[in-house]
Amino acid sequence: MKSPKASPEAAWIRAQRRSRTAFARPMLSAAVAMSESSRRASTEQGARSPAEVPGEPPAASPPLPGVQVSAEREDELVRSAQRGDALALSALVDRLAPFVGRICGPIALEHGEDAAQEALIAVLRDLPALREPRALYGWARRIAAREAVRHARAARRERPLGEPAVLPAPGDPALARDVRRVLEGLAPEQRAILMLRDLEGLSEREAAALLDVEQGTVKSRLSRARSAFKRRWSS
Amino acid sequence: MSAAVRWPAVELDPVARLRALAASLPWVSLEEAVIEAPFARVWSYIDDMERGVPQFEGNVRRIEILSREGERLALRSFGPGGFAMEVEAVLRPGWCVMRGRLGEIGMAAAPVGPSATRFAHFEGSRWLGRMAKPLFRHFVRRDLVRLAALATSDGKGTSPS
Repeated sequence: MKSPKASPEAAWIRAQRRSRTAFARPMLSAAVAMSESSRRASTEQGARSPAEVPGEPPAASPPLPGVQVSAEREDELVRSAQRGDALALSALVDRLAPFVGRICGPIALEHGEDAAQEALIAVLRDLPALREPRALYGWARRIAAREAVRHARAARRERPLGEPAVLPAPGDPALARDVRRVLEGLAPEQRAILMLRDLEGLSEREAAALLDVEQGTVKSRLSRARSAFKRRWSS
Repeated sequence: MSAAVRWPAVELDPVARLRALAASLPWVSLEEAVIEAPFARVWSYIDDMERGVPQFEGNVRRIEILSREGERLALRSFGPGGFAMEVEAVLRPGWCVMRGRLGEIGMAAAPVGPSATRFAHFEGSRWLGRMAKPLFRHFVRRDLVRLAALATSDGKGTSPS
């Protein structure tokens, strides 16, 4: 084993020892001050400010297979994660990763993984600024949907839409198959509105707020998306 | 359209999840590497925490598992110089997050084909804050090099399994 003298390891050891004794209190104060400072910076700089969230109705937590968790415990989990508790964050990642994946997949398709990764990073990076724990999933949904549309638009610019492949008919057992090929024939905005309204069950008002468009735009976009989906599905 | 239709969801692997977790801890340093060894071999060093982790984690000389309940572990970690620290951890295949009084450690792995593994590792201390990130970056890189050397060696006397 190398001598710890004058090495980075030695600095770490000394810091650990100091923090146990006389320097513990000042260091904790400094850490708290630094944490507060970074939290403020995150709020000020974040493009997706969680301050928008309180006006939004709280979204239900996604069901966890075999696990019944009370709303109070969920709130405490979010608050612990906001304080930087690594284990609470680990539990929250277990819940949020499939949630954002379910939103980003149908919208961004083959770019869904990148979109989900960036959405999850954005959610957790800005988590300390979220005021109401129960707004977490509504806020995460908003970030994921916008991130997915952004990725899908970028992909469409790079590669124009091709002709959709042969599709299964409605009522067919094939209905339960992957719908990826149908979705590929739709614009990213149409995929987003279909997913939010028909899969997530959001109202037109909620979908409009989430996508930052007028309610009338949601209505017309949804109508076109449903028609296009049905046409391609049954062709 | 109905919920019976299987929409193309995305599943993020543990490495992608750890990147996101690290983004919420601004005082930690995260590094990644592709290790030319199968996932099972690489993860065996983390899974067998008492024998495996001290072989590559420079700030841990010894680990004792105090209790285990499913994925949750209570540990006592002995650092250089014998300094002991109580640590809580979540451990499952591909995912390990530890929280002690003075710092956090995260490790995640995902297969890259049958014979390589992407490994991500972070360390940091909220007490020392962002100022210590370069120091922890050094520690994490050193640990990755050590783990890669262990996992790609012939295994004689090193593999915990």
